[in-house]
Amino acid sequence: MQYKFNIVGKNVIRQDGLEKVTGQAKFADDINVSNQLYGVMVRVPVAHAEIKSIDYSKIQHHPAIETICDSNDITGNKKIGPIKKDQPVFAYDKIRTPGDVVYMLVGESENDLLKLKNKVKIDYEELPILSDPRKSLNSDAPLIHSQFEDNLIVHYPLRKGDVDKGFQECEHTLEQTYTTPHIEHAYIEPEAVIAIPKEGNKGIHIIGSIQNPFTTRNVVAAVLNFPLAKIRIEQAELGGSFGGKDDTMNVLSTRAAIAAIKTGRPVKIRYTREDSILESYKRHPYIMNYKVGYNKDGKIKAMKVDILADGGAYASMSPFVTWRSVVQATGPYEIENVWTDVRAVYTNNPYTGAMRGFGSPQIIFAQESLIDEIAHKLGMNPIKMREINGYKLGSYTASGQKLQNHDVNLLKVLHTAKEKTQFVEKWNKFKNEAKENPVKEFTNKDVILNTVDFIEPNREWKKGIGLALSFRGCSLGAEGIDAVSAYLSLQSDGSAYLLSGLAENGQGLRTTFSIITAEVLGIGVDNIYYLELDTAHIGDSGPTVASRSTLMGGGAVKNASDILKSRLTDVFVKHFNLSENSNIIFENQQVYIKDSLKTEISFKELCSLAYAAGTNMGVMGWYAGPDVGWDEETGQGDAYFTYVYGCQVAEVKVNQVTGEVIVEKITAVHDPGKVINTLGALGQVYGGVTQGAGYGLWEAVSNHESKIRELNFDQYLIPTSKDIDEIEPIFIEGEDDFGAWGAKSLGEPTLELTAAAIANAIRNATGKRFFNLPINLEEVLLKRKLHPEDLKRGSA
Amino acid sequence: MIPELKYIRPKSVDEALNFLESFNGKAKFIAGGTDIIPGFQQQSKRFSDIKVLIDTKSIKELNKIETAQDSLIIGAACTFSEIQNNKQVSEYFPLLTKATSTVGSLQIRNLATITGNFVNNAPCADSVPPLLVYNAKIEIQSKKKTKEIALEDFLIAPYKNQLEPYEIVTKIIIPKPSSKIRGDFYKLGRRRGVAISRITLAVLVETDKEIIRDIRIAGGAVTPIGKRFHELEKFVKNKTISNELLKEMAIELGNQILKDTGLRWSTAYKLPVVQQKLYHMLTELCMKS
Repeated sequence: MQYKFNIVGKNVIRQDGLEKVTGQAKFADDINVSNQLYGVMVRVPVAHAEIKSIDYSKIQHHPAIETICDSNDITGNKKIGPIKKDQPVFAYDKIRTPGDVVYMLVGESENDLLKLKNKVKIDYEELPILSDPRKSLNSDAPLIHSQFEDNLIVHYPLRKGDVDKGFQECEHTLEQTYTTPHIEHAYIEPEAVIAIPKEGNKGIHIIGSIQNPFTTRNVVAAVLNFPLAKIRIEQAELGGSFGGKDDTMNVLSTRAAIAAIKTGRPVKIRYTREDSILESYKRHPYIMNYKVGYNKDGKIKAMKVDILADGGAYASMSPFVTWRSVVQATGPYEIENVWTDVRAVYTNNPYTGAMRGFGSPQIIFAQESLIDEIAHKLGMNPIKMREINGYKLGSYTASGQKLQNHDVNLLKVLHTAKEKTQFVEKWNKFKNEAKENPVKEFTNKDVILNTVDFIEPNREWKKGIGLALSFRGCSLGAEGIDAVSAYLSLQSDGSAYLLSGLAENGQGLRTTFSIITAEVLGIGVDNIYYLELDTAHIGDSGPTVASRSTLMGGGAVKNASDILKSRLTDVFVKHFNLSENSNIIFENQQVYIKDSLKTEISFKELCSLAYAAGTNMGVMGWYAGPDVGWDEETGQGDAYFTYVYGCQVAEVKVNQVTGEVIVEKITAVHDPGKVINTLGALGQVYGGVTQGAGYGLWEAVSNHESKIRELNFDQYLIPTSKDIDEIEPIFIEGEDDFGAWGAKSLGEPTLELTAAAIANAIRNATGKRFFNLPINLEEVLLKRKLHPEDLKRGSA
Repeated sequence: MIPELKYIRPKSVDEALNFLESFNGKAKFIAGGTDIIPGFQQQSKRFSDIKVLIDTKSIKELNKIETAQDSLIIGAACTFSEIQNNKQVSEYFPLLTKATSTVGSLQIRNLATITGNFVNNAPCADSVPPLLVYNAKIEIQSKKKTKEIALEDFLIAPYKNQLEPYEIVTKIIIPKPSSKIRGDFYKLGRRRGVAISRITLAVLVETDKEIIRDIRIAGGAVTPIGKRFHELEKFVKNKTISNELLKEMAIELGNQILKDTGLRWSTAYKLPVVQQKLYHMLTELCMKS
């Protein structure tokens, strides 16, 4: 459907821009209420131990302490979790990872509490530590949770065709193993929450840096044993989340609520960066073994994938994260015979959960490196390899889903990226250069060089270009219930309140949703006042995850806007005594009939008329996703109702003397469906690419016997604005039916491709394949990571 | 957690020294605070006894950069940004300009002082190698006397220096080098912005018809503290430049670092790289003239 847009796709100033750039926006830690107390966490510096006893007698009656909360204060569920209820709010039987909190001191002065932190005697017995996920399923591995038989969190098989027969019929096979590390979300605002007990039977009001208020409400209700409606969760302005303020915030909100109910006073918890990195969940490290069977013409006939994900101490989102991996593990390639196993296992490491990308950046790094490697082996360029195998309209995915009813833009994004970057010419040129002047391998295995080892200054940099390609299922898919609510209330003067059940996590949905309403009603974005998200004010719309805001929330907002437009149309028809309601245009704050000057009224006047006529001007819009399905035994089914496609090209230079990799340019070609909020979309690309480059080159949370080394940003390195040169976003806009005018997903696709594209560019530059992220200085030169033997920080 | 502290802004060096003495060792000077404040956060034992902080930035006389006949005098409270943007510094001491411009972020450079940098004496202190090759001296005052000491002698061990309990560093005095001298500063970090040095090198060289007349080499983050490599300098003085000689020097640097530092977790990476980079710097400085 062709549609002439007035606001959609234009540059629109952020709805919350003014308060944010002037520093007036209220983040969770800015909120203080009278009579409030603070909660301070107490942990034990071990990774695995049995708790024998806790003796509070030394501080119980200390004047700085109002109360001490531990597991005994919980009346409802002592353990929580989205699928497996395995994570204690306060650890009581065991310590399973160093982030575990045993009890919380509550009092008026946070500083006084911090001084008392280590005064309680906790008697514990250390247990053997399980740090290596490859050992988790061994029969002699320490059992992390005694209520389960083994350390398996989840296993997803996917079986398509006959993989053994497929391999037999192939001319070549290639088997490789790739690994990725723990990743910290690195949201700039650490966690903060305040729980305020209400008078009488009114329950509790919680305000915090919460990504998914409805999830938090469910968890708090289960722990407090409260009805859902007795709990109000309000989202404060959020300083970044990237999937990270979910489980951690559920736990923190619960702790604050327990203390607030116990003391009858508001209780605030706020984390330092060290607290945050220590306790919050991370992106899953994956160990990925891929075997591919292919013919010399490049056609892939069979793929066997074995993935092990380190779930850490708690299951958290592992069952969902790894499910996306099993759906997308073979990449955007049509393969007849597939055999995939994805397992997530327990260890004593930091637990792992949702993070932007959600099980895709890992597998894309592996599968795109692998496809690239096959192209190298066949002497074929990487574009050709992907053209041969890539999805087209009507292709079948590994889970047997036929790709139809949407724009299957895979080859379109690939070709756009190829042309924009002159990929093939550059790729061939750099490949030949690397061949003529190969990267020097040191002759001396010692650390002192031989004279022949020196590299001349003009030879140190090598240029390379590489690409990565992906398809991504939009929204939750067969993971969960997929429906969103939106509230739109027009006032008699033409201004409007807007709210949806999804959360503003910085991604800009307030602006995107306001644009949709403004477009439908022909008014300005500045006529719309976007409300704070509060679980008491709007229907449960599920979590704000999976790049589903624009698609699902946009659908709900458009639905609400369309309903109101239709009601106003009725008022218009009545006012002008028209016989039919066709050709009525809402545009530029006016409502009129095309080419008829007499039948025109301002939007404001029309609202005034509607109000006077007693029209219901407050509506709830709703959008629910079409049916999806999944067979747990075979891994077959229509996993997602629609998909998006993306291709990123990385142009790098690699220093063969120092191992530095400079990202000179990333060309990011994405098909997000219709682009509603152009500035927001560009922001997604700049941010996602930068995060993806961090994944490729710098970021890793490492641990020493399950204890994290990088507890602050002096050691955990995210890229700065100086570290990425040019990013060029290119949007291929489709014309799908889903959501608002076919606007789909963009947030996660922007991140998932970058590391893989960079790795392939490094391969092009150096002739070397790198299997283990991040490809940092040591990895480039030595093909391994180096770490100090202890956990000492700075000068301490 | 930042402990509760008394914070004093004296107007003069005398006043500062009086305060220092009156608190019986419980007081410490703070300049930019970019080491002390994170040190508090990390509960560093080095800072755990501090009850009073005396801010040197409020002392006007310590905030000046002055030129003397044959030297430049930098007040102890001058920030990285002030030094980075000073024309005298860039004219006579370009390595110092380059080193100060790569430290931390703009915000850190606006607060941090190079005096704090070498008084703290972290192995990776970026200002140390350039100051060492320029033969910088420092002026130290106590209530009893004022003395000058070479920076090289002032630095003892990681996070340790010669400063006595009731003394303050007041000035950095850098002699202007010969106009024939040229040099460069190199820094390698894990990323391009806000990076802690993995390797720094400062090299000054003066040649006369292919003969090395004067050479000064210092490194940072590759030895326990930033240091001059005098043996290496002596080894090549008055020798004729050749590609082989430069390689020999780089290898000799590797040997000396290995001797000083021993094998550490980072040696496998750092040592080959520092040899390569010294070779590059020497090639650029000696072969292109």
